[in-house]
Amino acid sequence: MSLWIKENCVSFFQLFCIKVIKTGRVPQHIAFIMDGNRRYAKKNSVDKSTGHHKGFDKLSETLKWCLDLGIPEVTVYAFSIENFKRSKEEVDALMELAREKFQNLLDEIDQIDEWGVRVHVAGRLSLLPEHLRSLVSKVMLATKDNNRLCLNIAYAYTGRDEISRAASRIIDGVKENKISPENIDEELISQSLDLGEPELLVRTSGEVRLSDFMLWQISNTVLYFTDVLWPEFTIWNLLAAIIHFQRNAPPIKAEDTNETAHEKEEFLKYLEQRRAQELTKYIS
Amino acid sequence: MLSRLLRQFLFALLHLILNFIVGAQNVYCRYWLKKHSLQDYEVTKTDLKLIVKHIPKLSKQPKHLVVLSDSDYHSIDDLARMVIWSLVAGIPFLSFYDVSGQLSYQEEKLFNAVEKNKKGVPGCIKWSKKPDLNGYTNGIPAHKIVVNIFSCQNGRSTITQCIKKMCEEKIPYNRKSDQITAQEFDDVISAVYPSIPDPDLALFSGPVCCTHGLLPWQIRLTEFISLSVDYNLSVESFVGAMYKYSKCDQRFGT
Repeated sequence: MSLWIKENCVSFFQLFCIKVIKTGRVPQHIAFIMDGNRRYAKKNSVDKSTGHHKGFDKLSETLKWCLDLGIPEVTVYAFSIENFKRSKEEVDALMELAREKFQNLLDEIDQIDEWGVRVHVAGRLSLLPEHLRSLVSKVMLATKDNNRLCLNIAYAYTGRDEISRAASRIIDGVKENKISPENIDEELISQSLDLGEPELLVRTSGEVRLSDFMLWQISNTVLYFTDVLWPEFTIWNLLAAIIHFQRNAPPIKAEDTNETAHEKEEFLKYLEQRRAQELTKYIS
Repeated sequence: MLSRLLRQFLFALLHLILNFIVGAQNVYCRYWLKKHSLQDYEVTKTDLKLIVKHIPKLSKQPKHLVVLSDSDYHSIDDLARMVIWSLVAGIPFLSFYDVSGQLSYQEEKLFNAVEKNKKGVPGCIKWSKKPDLNGYTNGIPAHKIVVNIFSCQNGRSTITQCIKKMCEEKIPYNRKSDQITAQEFDDVISAVYPSIPDPDLALFSGPVCCTHGLLPWQIRLTEFISLSVDYNLSVESFVGAMYKYSKCDQRFGT
């Protein structure tokens, strides 16, 4: 039994409904702002830590639904840089939860490989405690060849920080003569960021803002806000979001057939290599 | 094979039913509005009375309001009325985000429409490239509002130009560590934008919420509230949106 992908959570009827919805256009990349764990805890008179654990359980159910729907990429906002402002107790509990879950993932790596899930953690990893950083890097390297579902976890992340780090990489690239300023355009910046562009963004718990999440990437994303708290998110809430997307999404953009400048391609490959080297450094 | 046909049939049926329900709602709304709305092109005293009655009661008001406007659906008069309502409501900064790309060419027309609608309304409207519109008090408090028009050129394109200039060392910037921080980058970005606060509230109309490239750097904490599902801009929906905004609870990460 996998802890990260909740098997046997979908009834026959639910699976049938999934198959009906899947007949139409399904978003190729969904982002979730998993908000509402603490309000759920208060509502059910449990402590915040239990709320966050329930939130993780909901994530593993949602991943199963996304796998069934054939959605190839899912991004979740797990921990913002702003969240470091919370009480030491809560931050430590969240770091411990992350440590536990990433360790679980490594322990069940064979099942994860079978499901074909690739895990990518986006954020300013230098802010994480060393043991968590090392664990996260191991997970990323261990799953990098899986290709059924790419799960991006935004941890120690804000949209502004992501743009700033991409700017750093590009400025350094120019200094090292890997890229010239004429080749810097919006496309290059998009490719230098940690995360891609989602087609649908779902935020739970009734808040109607982005909270510094994927600010660059969501220019053409359908934003869907729902009042339900994250731990209470159901398959029907997800299907409603997807139906809303099917009714209102902008038409699919035609692929840009212009060849990317050779220098840009080389620079992006160089950035990939740098990332892999950094991860290896974190492990040792 | 049969099961696939059944699923396709059910899918088509689901969307057909939804289309029917949404269509019926739209017809009802339009009929209701036609029956009860005032068809005047100019801001009426009733509009202003409604705003003055309700807005001061609100516990929270936006400092900078952005209206996502689409020239395919919104007329210049619709937008001019929004300016006057925002002025009377006491909102200090109002911006229009030009989704369809045509509003920027019609700034003169918008200015004239606002001038026409402003007659008798106290307060001062400041435009970036046009003269101020002043007025006298007559029982309604006199506010000041600054109006801007933004388009997608002010979004990713401006950030890209900034990064290019940083690479060419045409813009000075601080960099204390290996990776530039969000604060250091913010110092650079703030210098190229007008010095107005980040938008607190973005009002959109239509069935879908989408930023269409609105000021990516500045919208990290902006609340997105719907004015109407059918692109209609009425004073009631404006006041309703202000109410919804006043109930939002910003926790800033904590």
